[in-house]
Amino acid sequence: MSRAAWLRRYAALIRNAWLVDLQYRASIVLWLLWGVTEPAVALGIWWTIAGEGQVAGYARADFARYFFALMLVNQLTIAWDSWYLDGWIREGELNFRLARPLHPAHEAVAENIAYKARTAGMILVVWLVVSLVWPAVRLPLAPARWALTAAAVLLAGAMRFFISFTTGLLAFWTTRATAIMELHAGVSLFLSGRLAPLALLPPAVAGAAALSWFPYMLAFPVELLTGAAQGTAVVKGFAGQLVWLGVWIAAYHVTWTRGVRRYGAVGG
Amino acid sequence: MPPAITADRLSKTFKVKVRDPGLKGALQALLKPRYRDVHAVRDVTFGIEPGEIVAFLGPNGAGKTTTLKMLAGLLYPTSGRVTVAGFAPWGGGPAFKRRIALVLGNRQQLVWDLPPEETFQLNRAIYDIAESDYRERLAELVALLELEDLLDKPVRQLSLGERMKCELAAALLHHPPILFLDEPTLGLDVTAQEAIRRFLTQYRDRHGATVLLTSHYMQDVTALASRVLIINRGRLLYDGALAALVARIAHTKRIELMLADGVTAEQLAAFGDVKEFRFPNAVLEVPREEAAATSARLLAQLPVADLSIEDPPIEDVIRVAFARGVAEDEA
Repeated sequence: MSRAAWLRRYAALIRNAWLVDLQYRASIVLWLLWGVTEPAVALGIWWTIAGEGQVAGYARADFARYFFALMLVNQLTIAWDSWYLDGWIREGELNFRLARPLHPAHEAVAENIAYKARTAGMILVVWLVVSLVWPAVRLPLAPARWALTAAAVLLAGAMRFFISFTTGLLAFWTTRATAIMELHAGVSLFLSGRLAPLALLPPAVAGAAALSWFPYMLAFPVELLTGAAQGTAVVKGFAGQLVWLGVWIAAYHVTWTRGVRRYGAVGG
Repeated sequence: MPPAITADRLSKTFKVKVRDPGLKGALQALLKPRYRDVHAVRDVTFGIEPGEIVAFLGPNGAGKTTTLKMLAGLLYPTSGRVTVAGFAPWGGGPAFKRRIALVLGNRQQLVWDLPPEETFQLNRAIYDIAESDYRERLAELVALLELEDLLDKPVRQLSLGERMKCELAAALLHHPPILFLDEPTLGLDVTAQEAIRRFLTQYRDRHGATVLLTSHYMQDVTALASRVLIINRGRLLYDGALAALVARIAHTKRIELMLADGVTAEQLAAFGDVKEFRFPNAVLEVPREEAAATSARLLAQLPVADLSIEDPPIEDVIRVAFARGVAEDEA
């Protein structure tokens, strides 16, 4: 396959994803509200706690920047694939996908691109509008930092995709694949920096988080964007992302190869 | 020319978790799971020549769909060998998948919320079909399947029959030489069933495609297939022409009569087993080898307006074939 043919495939997949989205306009608004509400609530809590002082070095303006960056980075890296895959496998919708000359992961990647371009685009607009009236959430226009953040977001997005896809593949063995993903999401709420910057975690929890992939999914690219990550923290962050991405790609590979072998291809 | 499809001692065994009913059973299954082997397909061997239309027959759970899925590369065989279009399906990769189409009667690839043409366009990109080829093939499929009014309607608004027609079009845009169809007429009304059958025959005649289909509808089989494979409990019981199966299994023939006045059921009983009698129509069953002689006697001795000799209904023949297979299986 030529590169142009691959581009045509991705363009067609993304186009179809958007066309389906347009059929469900209300749900787009709801997902957008959800994407904004969670960080907004967390910000509200920390705003109150910080008062006029600081919490672990974070003043109100720092919290505001952190959660606005989080809102954007989360939408750019989030992956829903485990839910789709679970359905495909358990309800036999993987069948026709396996019979096509295109690995089902490509469809999932294209869906991710379509979703992220749409939702993150809208969040970016929300952020720009808010920053016009609220200077606290403005970020310095430093091209090098934005470029580094883009790379970190790409790695985090890839890692979250492989985590979600691999967990979804567990549906080859269990009917509880989505429950496992829910558990993962629950833990990530604390360890990836969704509820609070990692600097605010108790030392023992922060130590545990540092040994896992969670901080590299979200907290690292967010801190890169806000400027909280500097010097060796940047190098360590990228190294952690690369290592954990490698681990999850390997896990995906093993799970996929073994899973399709034991696939029961249920239903017609 | 080598066969389009060969299966050599093909077997598939599933491990199924055994669970007793109730909460205790659920707990036991969790703590100490027990499994049993289900032999879905056992030592199935056959070959299909290019351009043949072959029907897979069998009751629910016989192993038809499992075999089809192994041939299409979806399921990994437990043992045995398969070749489809020169490939081992499991390791064939994209080159193999471009040579097959898989249509599953109760699972669709059409995008539910969009008009069928969007799925066609997607498949055009996935299979890397040139624009001119795509236009030409789509025009052919639209004409053969009468799709012109359906292309821009969302799939969710189409009837079951319309969806199946579009499903076939989506599956055939890349012109695969081998078609695997699982229950392509499932749930369709008689007109839609006939349209699908007519299309499949035309498509095979035009493009020389090899077709392997499963169906519960005998009309599909009698109208389409030159050959049937009968499978039950995972074993292949019969491989050959439908007419030969009837001759082998059916030891009787049906004589269908239209009678003139004054004939009673008692009179008819002297000629054979009276299966139906509703004046003026009657059906007699007689031993196969006596059918011609009995017909001659009927015409000579009774006022017969019309007479025809038929094989027993194909459903009855198949039922006997399944029953014999089961009997052998249990012996």
